[in-house]
Amino acid sequence: MQLRPILLQGHERSLTQIKYNREGDLLFSVSKDHVVNAWYSHNGERLGTYEGHIGAVWTVDVNSSTTLLVSGSADNTAKLWDVSNGKCLKSWEFNTAVRCVQFSEDDKMVLLVTEPRMGFPGTLQIFNVENGVTETVSSDPIYNFNPEGPKITVAAWGALNRYIVAGRENGSVALIEPETGKCISTNKVHELTLTDLQMSSDRTYFITASKDKSAKILETESLEVLKTYTTDTPLNSAAIMPKVQEFVVVGGGQEAMDVTTTSSRQGKFECRFWHKVLEEEVGRVRGHFGPINTIAIHPDGRSFASGGEDGYVRVHHFDDDFFSFKFQI
Amino acid sequence: MPSNWADEVDGDEAPQMFTDANGITTHIEFRINDDGKKVKITRRTRKKLIHDKVNKAVAARKKWPKFGREKGNRPGPDSATTNVGDNIKLKLSSTGQIVQDVDEKHEAMKAQLQNKKILCRICKGDHFTTKCPYKDSLGVEDAAATSAPAEEPAAEEQQSGSKYIAPHMRASASSGGVGGRPGSAGPDSREKRDEQPTLRVTNLSEDVTEADVSELFKRFGHISRVFLARDRETGACKGFAFVSFTMREDALRALEAIDGRGYDNLILRVEWAKSSA
Repeated sequence: MQLRPILLQGHERSLTQIKYNREGDLLFSVSKDHVVNAWYSHNGERLGTYEGHIGAVWTVDVNSSTTLLVSGSADNTAKLWDVSNGKCLKSWEFNTAVRCVQFSEDDKMVLLVTEPRMGFPGTLQIFNVENGVTETVSSDPIYNFNPEGPKITVAAWGALNRYIVAGRENGSVALIEPETGKCISTNKVHELTLTDLQMSSDRTYFITASKDKSAKILETESLEVLKTYTTDTPLNSAAIMPKVQEFVVVGGGQEAMDVTTTSSRQGKFECRFWHKVLEEEVGRVRGHFGPINTIAIHPDGRSFASGGEDGYVRVHHFDDDFFSFKFQI
Repeated sequence: MPSNWADEVDGDEAPQMFTDANGITTHIEFRINDDGKKVKITRRTRKKLIHDKVNKAVAARKKWPKFGREKGNRPGPDSATTNVGDNIKLKLSSTGQIVQDVDEKHEAMKAQLQNKKILCRICKGDHFTTKCPYKDSLGVEDAAATSAPAEEPAAEEQQSGSKYIAPHMRASASSGGVGGRPGSAGPDSREKRDEQPTLRVTNLSEDVTEADVSELFKRFGHISRVFLARDRETGACKGFAFVSFTMREDALRALEAIDGRGYDNLILRVEWAKSSA
C-alpha cells in the first residue's frame, strides 16, 4: 500500500511533541522554536499559531472539548491558551523548565512537571482550570509535590484521576497519588530513561518508550509489564492505535548528535508498526531524515502523524489495504 | 497585429458548455495566452454530491478564522507550510521477514565477506585494491603489461626480488605461475575471466548497448563484466554479448529467466559460454 504523507513545515527547529484533539480534526505541534502550531489534520492546513513563549516548547496538551490548550516551555513558564483564537489566558511562572503537561480526564485540572535544575528540586504541580474559558485561573497550584527519587521525564493521568503515572530518568515507572503526592508503587521496567508515555483510550494501560531501544505496555493499576517490543534503535516515542487495527507505533533513531555520522538508512529513522498483542513487527514507514521525536495517532485510527528532529511533521492517512489487513499466524 | 482570416473565424468562437448523458459537463473556451497565441481550454467536470456526517464541534471548528501567523490568510492549505510528500510504501507483513529483508541481505553479505580474505589485486596484500600504496605506480591487473619502465622499481619491491622481470613473466608469476601464456596481454585476467560463470547472450538486436545488457541482467546478481560484440566500422551490436557474474547461482537464475524471453522484438537465447581455453 502507498501512503501519501502531508508535510507540515511550520517549525524551524526540531519537534518536541504533537497531539491530536479528541475528535482528531486538529493537530497541535510544538518545537524548540518557541511556537505552538495548530493544524487541520485532514488536509494539513495551518489554523494558526500561539505565540508568546520565549524558549523551546517541550510539551502541549488540549482539553477534551478543544477549548483550552496548555503548553510547557524551557522559558520556565506554562501557558494556557484559547484554542480558537490563539490568545494567552494565563501564564504560570516556575523556577525551572516545564517538561510535561496534561489535562485530567474531566478537564478540571492540569498536571505540570518541572525539571530539577540549579538547586531547585523537580516538582509535580496540579492547577485548577475548571473555569479557564470564562474566568481567570489561579496562579497557585492546588497541589505541589517534590517527589523523591530520580528526575521525572514524563507523566500522565490514570483512569478517573486516581493516579498519576510518572516515568523517570532511570527507566522506572511510578504510581503517584494526586492528593498526597505519595508514591504508591514503582517498577523499574527499562534500563535507560523513559522518553514517552501514552495512555490507552480508557487509561487502563499505557505504553512507554525508552532509550534502551524497547517499548512496553504496562497495566496502570499494577504497573505490570504486559507486552514488550524490542527494536534496534533508541526510541523517542510510542503510541497505541486506538481503533481499526491492534497496532502500536514506535519511533526513534540514533541520537541527534551522532546523526551526521551515518546515512538515513542506518540511522533507522522509521516509524515501526508492531502488532500490539503478538509483539511482532508488521511494517515500517520511512521518510524523516532525522530521529523521530514524537508520534501521535488519530483517535479514529485512520491516520497518524510523526514529528522529527528534522523539523517536519508528517501526517499519513491510511488507505483501505491497511484497514483490511489481517495478521496471519 | 494583422489578423489572418483563419483567426477571425476562430475569434468569434464563444465559450461552449454542454452536458452529456453521464453527467460530465464539458466547458470549452478560447483564450489568448501570454505569447499572444490563441489556446483552446477544455474542462471536463463531473459533480458528485457526497453526504458525510460530521461532528458538530468539528464542523464549527472548520469555520474558525485563522489566527497568529496565519491571520487574514484565505482558507485552504498554504504551500509555504503544507506540502504533499513523495509516496511512501508501507508493506504490512505477518512474518516480520519482509520488513527486515534489507537488513538481512546486509547481514548475509557481511557473513559472506567474513570468510573471504581481502586481497589487493595489485600487490596481493591484505587490503582493498583502492587502498593499495602501489595503486598509482602499478595500476590494476593487466595494466602491468603496459606500465612504463619508470615505474618498475615499485613493482619489484612487491615481487620480492631486486632483479628485473619482464612484464609478461611478472604477470604469470603473480597468478601462481599456472597457465601463463607468454605474449598475451593479460593472461592473469583472462584466466580469471574463464573461472567466472559467464553467459553467452545471442540474438540481440542491433541497437543494444552494454548498458541495456547490464540493466537486463543486474537484477539477478552482481555482474563483473559485460562484453558486447560490436561491428568494427559501424559500432552497431553484432548480435551477441557475454555477461560474467560473480556468483554461479545468480548466473544460473539469469539463464533460466532470460533464455527464450522477448527483448526488442527478438527472442533472446542464453547459454553458458564455452571456455576459450
